[in-house]
Amino acid sequence: MFTHIIRRILSVAFTFIVVSIIIFLMMHSVPGGPFDANDMPVSEAVRAKMMAQWGLDQPLHVQYFNYMWGVLHLDFGVPFQSPGETVVELISRAWVPSLILGGTGVLIGAPLGILLGMAAALNRNTWIDYLASTLATLGLTIPVFVTSMLLILIFAVWLNWLPASGWPQPNRWILPIACYAAIPLATYARYTRSAVLDTLNRPFVTVLRAKGLSERRIVFQHVMRNSAIPLVTVFLPMFIGTATGSIFVEAMFRVPGLGAYFVSSIEVRDYTLQMALMLLITFMYCLAYLLSDIAYALLNPRIRVGGAE
Amino acid sequence: MNALVRLAGIMVAATSLSAPVLAQTTVVAPSGSTAGTYMDYMKTVYDRGTGSELLQIPIATFDKEFELTPMAAESWTQSEDGLTWTFKLRPGLVWSDGEPLTAEDFVFALQRAATSGYDFAWYWDFAGGIKGWKEVTEGTADVSTLGLKAVDDLTIEVTTVAPKPYLPSVTSLWYPVPKHKVDELGDDWALDVATIVSSGPFEIESWEKSNNSVVFTKSDTYTGPWSPMIDRLELDPTLNAPEVGLPAFLAGDADYSFLNTGQVPVATARYPDGIRKNAVFATSYISYDLDAAPFNDVNVRRAFYYAVDRAELTSTVLKDIAIPAGSILPPGYPGYNPDIAAEAVFDPEKAKQFLADAGFPNGEGFPEVEIWYREEGGYNGAIVPAMAQYLQAEFKEVLGISLNIRALPGPEWMDGLRGKKNNIFIAPYEYDYLDPSNFYGIFYNGGRHGYFIPEYDEIIAKADSESDWDTRYKLYAEAEQLMIDQGLILPLVHPVTIAVVSDQLTGDGVAPNSLGFTQLDRLGHYFFTHITKQ
Repeated sequence: MFTHIIRRILSVAFTFIVVSIIIFLMMHSVPGGPFDANDMPVSEAVRAKMMAQWGLDQPLHVQYFNYMWGVLHLDFGVPFQSPGETVVELISRAWVPSLILGGTGVLIGAPLGILLGMAAALNRNTWIDYLASTLATLGLTIPVFVTSMLLILIFAVWLNWLPASGWPQPNRWILPIACYAAIPLATYARYTRSAVLDTLNRPFVTVLRAKGLSERRIVFQHVMRNSAIPLVTVFLPMFIGTATGSIFVEAMFRVPGLGAYFVSSIEVRDYTLQMALMLLITFMYCLAYLLSDIAYALLNPRIRVGGAE
Repeated sequence: MNALVRLAGIMVAATSLSAPVLAQTTVVAPSGSTAGTYMDYMKTVYDRGTGSELLQIPIATFDKEFELTPMAAESWTQSEDGLTWTFKLRPGLVWSDGEPLTAEDFVFALQRAATSGYDFAWYWDFAGGIKGWKEVTEGTADVSTLGLKAVDDLTIEVTTVAPKPYLPSVTSLWYPVPKHKVDELGDDWALDVATIVSSGPFEIESWEKSNNSVVFTKSDTYTGPWSPMIDRLELDPTLNAPEVGLPAFLAGDADYSFLNTGQVPVATARYPDGIRKNAVFATSYISYDLDAAPFNDVNVRRAFYYAVDRAELTSTVLKDIAIPAGSILPPGYPGYNPDIAAEAVFDPEKAKQFLADAGFPNGEGFPEVEIWYREEGGYNGAIVPAMAQYLQAEFKEVLGISLNIRALPGPEWMDGLRGKKNNIFIAPYEYDYLDPSNFYGIFYNGGRHGYFIPEYDEIIAKADSESDWDTRYKLYAEAEQLMIDQGLILPLVHPVTIAVVSDQLTGDGVAPNSLGFTQLDRLGHYFFTHITKQ
């Protein structure tokens, strides 16, 4: 188990470095620089002056090592888009709304999805199952900007119950949270349904039934625990995916979050921010999979034993 | 009983205290772009904090009839030789921190712009023509050699390389910079609400940097013309997209919203009196690499020129969010010449003939070309992609030419244009100041497209410095004719934006001008100081 974790941590570090090199190279190989977006071209002399000012005139490998040296000291530089603060300050500021909305969305959506999936599995091929499956399919297939538009139209424009969009009053959070909750809800409903059905068909359940255990005990004590494994593996990555914000949801609901920066940093060639966001996401996903692996091992004795061998 | 009376007393006092707050008028408007770095128009124009121009007072600005109106300046005069302009400032102007606003703040603004890599620096070269500008921006001359001087606290002298009869209209984008703040804090003065000072009709209250939305209040210290009639102004770039703006408007969260083509019929049916059309002085045109085949052949360019049915394009594909463009200048713009614009007709036979003359009868043997356009939001985003597809079909049908389409992000598109990495582009341009020299300057001596046409440059140089206005306009017409004869560009459309305005908004700002257009946020200084809310 311990060596397993050490091995995983080393592979995370390796992934991190490989990803940083790839992103850095890709970022700089895209035509156009941070001073090219305007309606009239900047003169060569001015461009050269600006590039030198930001250290962009140095050879790429020097720029890379300078940057990564800073990263080692947790210095991610200054975002071109927001010169009054550091990248770290920008991210910690903009992440808050995304974390509140996306995080709450997952925390609400996931348990609801589990309930829905269990209800569907335990009532297989009844109307409950069909309804749950339909909801889950809709939740996964309807693009989030359509969902947001529908929610705004129904609750803000027609019924006038809630504000259409905006920040920071909490009553403006309800609709985006509902939007964010749709995907984990649908994902979890589908995963739970198939995991529970799969477990219910295993021989040990037949044995438990033969031993005369109540169906309730079988489901809550044995089936749930055994079905939890795939659910645990998807939870953290999904949480990270959602809690870092979505450009669509944030644009539709006018949330001053992190989501838009993923796109704008690429659009305006904001190298420092782009790099930091990518490294952040890489790090978070690596961490999420590492933690999932550990949780997985704790839940599944077969892996625990296998890892110790 | 005593307690009750006291409670009642407190409640009365509380109500009277809160009453002025309730009576405040706040207008919520879409404006700006979501990326904002400095709240300082003279530091950055393209990535500026939303509304940074409204915080400062320009030398002059335009009203809704596009009449130039003195703002910080009271008057101006041109010297005999036409090379020197003298601007007299209005006495009594102050910064919001109480410091007097002087000629030095205006001069300093441009001196800093010339030396700090200002992204709008080209404007003061090609529009302003300020003596020494180019040399100073490129670092080959000292800033003291610039043709700018604060003669005394209220007098500014500007020297230009050639006579610039239209210089006063160029100063509509000349805002002061608080030198005392820059001396103290450097450029960072414009990053924090606590240190930002204003000289214009509004002061800043808050700034949400994640989406560049701002809250302004009416300035207490502003003594210039056009004082606001509203107390607070919220400018929110996230409301710009009609898909977001209209629902917010319908839910009462915004006072007006721009509309996309699909929303226009719905909004018109529901708010017949609330629809406003806004002329944007802008043109979408096709430009070429004049040095490379196949567009180095004037016959090819002329074939393209006659192959576009602009009326069909605007009325069907674009559903009237644009009008046909016959020249680089839009109708209503100074120097616009309807006779020349009328030459831009759809004539498939002529187009085919020109193409055959170029050696490609019915498009045979014509290389496959790819037209590059810039991905963007706003009115261009609504027009250009659909227009590109229309052109693709049109060139195939009329000329038998295969045209591929490529959308590029802004920096990549500009990189392609600058480096001539492609030979045909769709290019949009919006005016900076109201003078024909603005649009013709785009193609002057290299300019935006790397065009070097000596005859053209000669006419433009002459026109730019001509002091007789009739002669000037005649010269620009000559230049336009030359562009047509040589097919230098293919003017396509002029965009129009359509908005729905709440009936609570009143005032001259929301009333159409004599051409039937409103300006909403385009002429911000006029618009936001000429609206009130009930």
